[in-house]
Amino acid sequence: MSVFIDKKTRVLVQGITGGEGRYWTKHMIDLGTQVVAGVTPGKAGQDVEGVTVYNTVQQAVTATQADASVLFVPPRFAHDAVFEALDAGIRKIVVTAEGMPLHEAMEIRSAARLLGATVMGGNTTGVITPGVAMMGFLPYWIDRVYRPGRVGVMTRSGSLTNEATAMMVKAGYGVSSLLGIGGDAIPLTRFAELLPAFEADPETDAVLIIGELGGSMEEEVAEAIEAGLFTKPLVAFIAGRNAPEGKKMGHAGAIVSGGKGSVAGKAKALRAAGALVADRPSEIGALFDQLGLPQ
Amino acid sequence: MKLFEYQAKGLFAEAGIAVPAGQVVDNVDAVEAAIGEVGLPCVLKAQVLRGGRGKAGLIQFATSVDAARTKAEQLLASDHNVQKLLVEESLKIEKELYLAITVDPLTGKALVMGASEGGVDIEDLAVNAPEKIVRQLVDIKQGILPFQLRNVMFGLGLKGETFKEGMQLLKALFGLFSRKDAELVEINPLVVTADGQLIAADGKFSIDDSAAFRQKGLARTREQFDSDIEFEAAEAGFPYLQFDGDIGLMCAGAGLTNTVYDLIADYGGTVANYLEFGGPNYRRAVEAMAFTLRSKPKVILVVTFGTIARADVMAEGLAEAIETLKPDVPIVTAIRGTNEEEATEILKGLGLEPLNDTEAAVQKAIALCG
Repeated sequence: MSVFIDKKTRVLVQGITGGEGRYWTKHMIDLGTQVVAGVTPGKAGQDVEGVTVYNTVQQAVTATQADASVLFVPPRFAHDAVFEALDAGIRKIVVTAEGMPLHEAMEIRSAARLLGATVMGGNTTGVITPGVAMMGFLPYWIDRVYRPGRVGVMTRSGSLTNEATAMMVKAGYGVSSLLGIGGDAIPLTRFAELLPAFEADPETDAVLIIGELGGSMEEEVAEAIEAGLFTKPLVAFIAGRNAPEGKKMGHAGAIVSGGKGSVAGKAKALRAAGALVADRPSEIGALFDQLGLPQ
Repeated sequence: MKLFEYQAKGLFAEAGIAVPAGQVVDNVDAVEAAIGEVGLPCVLKAQVLRGGRGKAGLIQFATSVDAARTKAEQLLASDHNVQKLLVEESLKIEKELYLAITVDPLTGKALVMGASEGGVDIEDLAVNAPEKIVRQLVDIKQGILPFQLRNVMFGLGLKGETFKEGMQLLKALFGLFSRKDAELVEINPLVVTADGQLIAADGKFSIDDSAAFRQKGLARTREQFDSDIEFEAAEAGFPYLQFDGDIGLMCAGAGLTNTVYDLIADYGGTVANYLEFGGPNYRRAVEAMAFTLRSKPKVILVVTFGTIARADVMAEGLAEAIETLKPDVPIVTAIRGTNEEEATEILKGLGLEPLNDTEAAVQKAIALCG
């Protein structure tokens, strides 16, 4: 079992003929992902890494029964591409584009909730179950950064995720499934909404959350733990403890305003709920040791 | 992108929302003519993007032309980077309300908030008396419906003609929020005048940077930034913040850069600038270093852990930057991720001692600052 994606997931790549689309399609296939189709309007009949390209998502789904889609399209076309996938019946979508217009993200979030779809992103590096399958772009082949294991990971960052998983590997732990929810201001799926999948996954013993200043997603995780919706051990690292108030620290979502969204507030809420919070990435392994997790 | 009050009010006026009579001036001599338009007594409002202008003394009242000139001179000479003043008529205020539209990330809807106690710090009200704030979620695609307008107006306690006027005002404000790709519009206070009229006495307006490509009428300008370098970095597409410490950052990824920033503080160092050259900028090391050098760092710290942003490409970029810019400060690197072995070789070839641990790199950078 795994979270979000497994060997049976029939993956479609929207924007497959672009540079990134081609490159990462190869890496997804190399890991064992079942990439069944690609879509680029006007490029039907082409072939990328042995994957047939279709003009529309509808045609691709009809021909291949694709049931998940990863988007390698620029931010201003992401809204259209997500709705095209939803329209064709796809309910698992990964949006890698960074900086989709906010109002378009609102529309997607709102529509996905009504349809019961899980849309990850925008600005995510994707989802992976190491050794099984991937939708997105995580450097799973670098042994010191990723290895299969029993810790579920949820993250708002890309580079920082590599930093944190490298620290896990160093301490002897690996990843069961990793879900990147992305760094945009409106995450299309939120941390707390993904906790039930990790709770149910027999291959996940504990969860690591890589959070960031801004927003309220870490606080929602604390509420879910307190409500008994998540009962496995949880460790968090949250970047931006010293960020000055009112400054946008890179990611669109990373800002503290009116005292809300501070790392101190998030850490306090998580600790009160019984979670462990690392002040530095290098402390993550020690906290897993403290929990007595099997390596 | 945050707009100045006068720009926000310009948009309000275009949308049919009443604003006080006002004129923008950028020098003392223009004040008299402005008063000719708006009358006395008048209000002089410094056009800066920070909040709490009243408490900071950046809003002044004047009852004569001479007093207005003196106060304008003081405001323009203050150390708050005041480039423009808005000279406005003084309103006859009966009541002050609060009205705002923002984004609710949880539901993916627009959130309209109103309070009959405007003019105060709305965050205090939210903490101490949340029941006094009326909240209405609105589907951005559907637009605001009449019942939603009524919910807000009853929440504001309006009656009669003012109630009807308020419905129109909020409808116009929502249209503006939607058309302009706003992330926040706020009127605080929304003044009810003695004769029952509603006037937007202040205006906050923030436009989604990710939608800038279709909001071309509202260009980024120098006056929105505290420094030339922050303006130029924004124009060039680099996330950049200016600080006054020792270590110049060239990092990739917001999460990792924030982590480096935290670690520097933990270990007792200080930061000269925050700069990210990951994502779409990972091939732009020369430009990135040029910005970093302008923050006058004692040492440059490069920390990356990229996937698409390949380590070897970033290392090559750093080599080019060193050759082009010949920085006279030490450079500490932890460049990791895709093709990190090649990156390490390139960096060694430059005579650097590449590290692969973030904390070790931070400690070394701090030590080099002396």
